[in-house]
Amino acid sequence: MVGQILEVIGRPGFTRLLLTHVELSALALIIAIVIAIPVALAVRKTQAGAAVAINVGNIGRAVPSLALLALALPFFGFGFTSALLALAALAVPPILINASTALREVNPGVIDAARGMGLSGSQVLARIQLPIAAPVIFAGIRTSAVQVVASATLATFIGGGGLGDLIVEGFQRGDTAILLAGALSVAVLSIITEVGFAGIERALTPKGLKIAQKRRS
Amino acid sequence: MPRVSKGVALALLQEISLEEPRLVEWDWLAENFWEDIFPAIQGHMYLSFVSVAIALAISLPVGVLAARYRKIYPPVTFVTGILYSIPSLALFSILISVPGIVIGPTPVIIALVAYSLLILIRNVVAGIDSVPAETIDAARGMGLTNRQILFGVELPLALPVIVAGIRIATVTIIGIATIGAYISGGGLGKLIFDGINRNFPTMIIAGAILATALAIIADLLLLALERYLRPWARRRRA
Amino acid sequence: MRNRTKSIRVIPALLAALALTLLAACGNVGGSGESGGGGDGGGPTITIGSKNFTEQYILGELYAQALEANGFTVERKLDLGSEQIADKALQNGQIDMYPEYTGTALVATLDYEGNPADLKTPEETYQKAKELYAQRDPADTMLTPAPFNNSYGIFVRSDVAEERDLVTLADLAEASPDLTFVSYSEFQNRSDGYKNMQRNYPAFDFGEIRIVNQLGLRYQGLQGGEGDVGVGFTTDGQLASDELVVMEDPKGIWPFYYPAPVVRTEVLEQNPEMRDVLNEVSASLDVDTMRELNGQVDLEQEDPEDVAAEHLENEGIVE
Repeated sequence: MVGQILEVIGRPGFTRLLLTHVELSALALIIAIVIAIPVALAVRKTQAGAAVAINVGNIGRAVPSLALLALALPFFGFGFTSALLALAALAVPPILINASTALREVNPGVIDAARGMGLSGSQVLARIQLPIAAPVIFAGIRTSAVQVVASATLATFIGGGGLGDLIVEGFQRGDTAILLAGALSVAVLSIITEVGFAGIERALTPKGLKIAQKRRS
Repeated sequence: MPRVSKGVALALLQEISLEEPRLVEWDWLAENFWEDIFPAIQGHMYLSFVSVAIALAISLPVGVLAARYRKIYPPVTFVTGILYSIPSLALFSILISVPGIVIGPTPVIIALVAYSLLILIRNVVAGIDSVPAETIDAARGMGLTNRQILFGVELPLALPVIVAGIRIATVTIIGIATIGAYISGGGLGKLIFDGINRNFPTMIIAGAILATALAIIADLLLLALERYLRPWARRRRA
Repeated sequence: MRNRTKSIRVIPALLAALALTLLAACGNVGGSGESGGGGDGGGPTITIGSKNFTEQYILGELYAQALEANGFTVERKLDLGSEQIADKALQNGQIDMYPEYTGTALVATLDYEGNPADLKTPEETYQKAKELYAQRDPADTMLTPAPFNNSYGIFVRSDVAEERDLVTLADLAEASPDLTFVSYSEFQNRSDGYKNMQRNYPAFDFGEIRIVNQLGLRYQGLQGGEGDVGVGFTTDGQLASDELVVMEDPKGIWPFYYPAPVVRTEVLEQNPEMRDVLNEVSASLDVDTMRELNGQVDLEQEDPEDVAAEHLENEGIVE
């Protein structure tokens, strides 16, 4: 069985499927970041604005992945682009929620102190709020990334390609080796994504916060 | 020589074009509501609720045990974590090839339960952990037995966190249940897949929108329950 | 204290709500497939399955309605995915019959060791499949197939075909380096798919191959100009259109895929009348009729049960 699975992975078509899957996930994530972060920045100043963003994000999180991908079909047709749009939409909520929450939750006392020292609004943002909010924002990006990699499996149903093609093929043919090759590839990919992003998250946490976190635990 | 049916004759008269079908055919929806749409909604609710119920029935005792005997928590997290990382499409397909498996909702429910164990067990443990040690001490001081403490103090206080876990698990399950239709499990995914197979956007849109609505409604209801159960949050707002 | 009591009361309330919803939902245990429509002949109950594409829905409905008109009560499970699922359901008794293609049975579900494409006539293919089905445990009977072949159809946009004078697969192979082929992953990887084409017509070497796994989408892709050549099935409704032309296959490189009801032998023995009813339906179908019926569902968005009902009426099988 292991030999058969490796055979499937050795197929020339496999690399293409893997690359498409990674491409879909990465691009969807980037698009989601480009949408979510500016929105979170825009609403950070008001309680109401942030609340709206967070609520929209919460509702968005509940949308089933297959539903969104399927909806893309009648409106945008089939293929890579369609799947990309749907996946990007799916990736926005976790980032939006975390970013909006993080930017609002910086201790007002800290912001006052900074203002007192003469920092302007945007300086406060850049030098204080963002670094403190960064780990939380990044946690949102990480959650989103893992979700997107898993959901990209479903892109196969709207002709988007990716490792889902392999799973479907294995299933239709009753060939367990092909099925497992697809399943394991996706599982490995999501684990790599999770671990990789966790590493980056740790790197992004400012030293002061790390010490504070350690002291608390 | 085969007889030419009326249909064939008509087709010869009209040219069959390959144009895209109309987006939503409201008449079809009205005509087929009881036959196709309502059973799909029912089937989906059945899949979701049974899965959540079974997952909860497993997670509560396992979570309580893991909270008490910490040593079993890491292996439990490990196993449920692995189950969680298998792509749903693959898990469904693998379950179907098990000899003796009955085609229908059963394999879907098994997979859905497997997916939600991680989050539920994690939240049960976190909920119980969040009960202050002093409260338990006080209860013990009042002479309550361990059993009375568990059911009378720990679980009720852990409830908000547990319900938060139930909320996430439910929404996840409703979402993944849509894929279950791929292995003939029924539910709203059936409308989606049939619509794709038959080139019929009305079915796709109906299935997708209903599944989304179901997930959002469940999310909001459970969120309301969660908020209701957090007395300190309520007090702050008042 | 007060809050704790409220919390405790919430639990039974939640459980009660859950139980109520479960009871309501239980009305549709199974949920996969519509339950038998007007079949209340009071006669024996037959469960018919089908795979999950249009032709299968139609065939399933045709057989179901014909049986209902002859006094049977029919339960339908018409969305059993691929042959893997359908065959499994047949073997474990969840369904009593489903329509299967002779070639597919040999390739996918029966233990046929030869290459089905080497069987040179439809009759030979059928006999082989029938034989292997009968040897299974529990045994199945593959009845007389309908007189049409639902094989792979390599279709080309008419304008492209005209421009390059493409009539046969050999012609297409020569022209392939300049053309885009819209295929699907199973076809590309199965030994009886694209590889079979290349083996028999070695000039096949498409300039670009795009993978689109959903059948209907491949047709849309061609129409949208995203491809010149596609692979579908010879009975697809879309092929009745002038905009596409199917390439001829003089070498006969594919097995024959004639559909026939595959019935659990014990069910057939208990209800021998089924044989004639099902055979009558099968005999009424041919390639053009099947394309037309498929087209009514795929292109005109009609429901398979209505399309089937109309056909049975036209043929005089059902009043």
